[in-house]
Amino acid sequence: MSNADIKSNRPLSPHIQIFKPILTMVMSIVHRITGAALYFGTVLVAWWLIAAASGPAYFDFVNEIYGSFLGRLILFGFTWALVHHMLGGIRHFIWDMGYGFGPQAREWLVRANLAGSIVITILLWIIGYAVR
Amino acid sequence: MSDMRTPLAKVRGLGSAKEGTEHFWRQRLSAVANVFLITFFVIFIIATQGASHAELTSALSNPVVAILMALTVASAVYHMKLGMQVIIEDYVHGEGLKYVTLIANTFFCALIGFGSVFAILKISFGG
Amino acid sequence: MVQLTLPRNSQVTEGKVWDKPEGAKNVREFKIYRWNPDDGRNPRVDTYYVDMDDCGPMVLDALIKIKNEIDPTLTFRRSCREGICGSCAMNIDGTNTLACTRGMDEVKDATVKIYPLPHLPVVKDLVPDLTNFYAQHRSIEPWLQTVSPAPEKEWRQSHEDRTKLDGLYECILCACCSTSCPSYWWNGDRYLGPAILLQAYRWLIDSRDEATGERLDNLEDPFRLYRCHTIMNCAQVCPKGLNPAQAIAEIKKMMVERRV
Repeated sequence: MSNADIKSNRPLSPHIQIFKPILTMVMSIVHRITGAALYFGTVLVAWWLIAAASGPAYFDFVNEIYGSFLGRLILFGFTWALVHHMLGGIRHFIWDMGYGFGPQAREWLVRANLAGSIVITILLWIIGYAVR
Repeated sequence: MSDMRTPLAKVRGLGSAKEGTEHFWRQRLSAVANVFLITFFVIFIIATQGASHAELTSALSNPVVAILMALTVASAVYHMKLGMQVIIEDYVHGEGLKYVTLIANTFFCALIGFGSVFAILKISFGG
Repeated sequence: MVQLTLPRNSQVTEGKVWDKPEGAKNVREFKIYRWNPDDGRNPRVDTYYVDMDDCGPMVLDALIKIKNEIDPTLTFRRSCREGICGSCAMNIDGTNTLACTRGMDEVKDATVKIYPLPHLPVVKDLVPDLTNFYAQHRSIEPWLQTVSPAPEKEWRQSHEDRTKLDGLYECILCACCSTSCPSYWWNGDRYLGPAILLQAYRWLIDSRDEATGERLDNLEDPFRLYRCHTIMNCAQVCPKGLNPAQAIAEIKKMMVERRV
């Protein structure tokens, strides 16, 4: 067996299978997932705007879908993803400026990100229902 | 096929693209814009949720609102185009699929962006 | 597409369970990744039992004891046993660290699980192939580069400029950080990874170096540098307490600084 064959037979050592999740890593993944969700979520915004431009009948039809239980559930998730991604963006911005790299600071930033996203999302919905 | 290039030849590869900072910068720039524009967008949505078609179109016919809405769409769509590009570069390695997904990303964002801005302008111009 | 699962030849199977030491009262279980290039089989996890009353305090002590007294075929790298050579870098209890400086009392699980550094080709057992990692280090030209004629005695540096190398020169290139980075897992062929970028920054901010611009040119690349997404695993695992993520952020700032 040539040297090249031995090298190509080498197994790949385990990675995500054995690596214990670290909070900043998990939050980085959540930032990416919320970003991707918002990416496809823009279809809902575009659809809503185009419906409004199409006339009252079609607009009411779309509004009804968005106002249904499932529609509201999706919009609630949309709100959370939006707020979480925005706060995550601010967190990354702080890091890009060269601050908040210490062990306590990074933990604090990701915890504030998560807690803030939940609190602000619920607040926005309470306000939304209150002003109706 | 065995690869007999030296390890350094593999690492050096095709050399540095001497690029990437512009992408990095624009992603941050659009992110900063989004913080303000999305805040406006959320306030607008809360204010107009449950509104009738007439109420909504009348709100959007205000030039300031229409301009801010169009800017929101432009900035958000640009930001998400840059972001999805990074995701694709991270995970899609096959040469063919990589180009297809990168192109699809641009097309999708253009569609969402132009579609939304057209709708805003049509409403705003009283269409 | 990136492969999140292990290739077929890399999937880990159940291995041998070795006998418990006779008469020992304080026994700890070790599950250790094994792969032998000569037997044509898949990697496996062997189970060993070590008498903690007759063993040093560090994970490396247990590995050496297993090799000496239970299974001489167990293969791993080690040299200085005091955290300065970087040889015994491996994945212990789900995190990358040095076996010589990781106390067994720091491992919270009852069982001590030991794997090679993640997402690398395995040479044997706990010995990964770091060829690509070293070639990447070579590619950033980690030595002082100057154009000016060499001075009579030495290249001089102020005290303030010298302090800028603190937190960088201590890096021992153990590869714990790079192999903890998901971005390096998926794009290690093109992304230089945290260790090499920290080393690159060490030369970028060396006031004596005259090749800063060329160094930045070579790093400015969507993959070489910008695969860093500040995931922070590097800073979390560094056994020397260094912060590669911060060094990379500083490089990105230099990239922006030189164009605005």
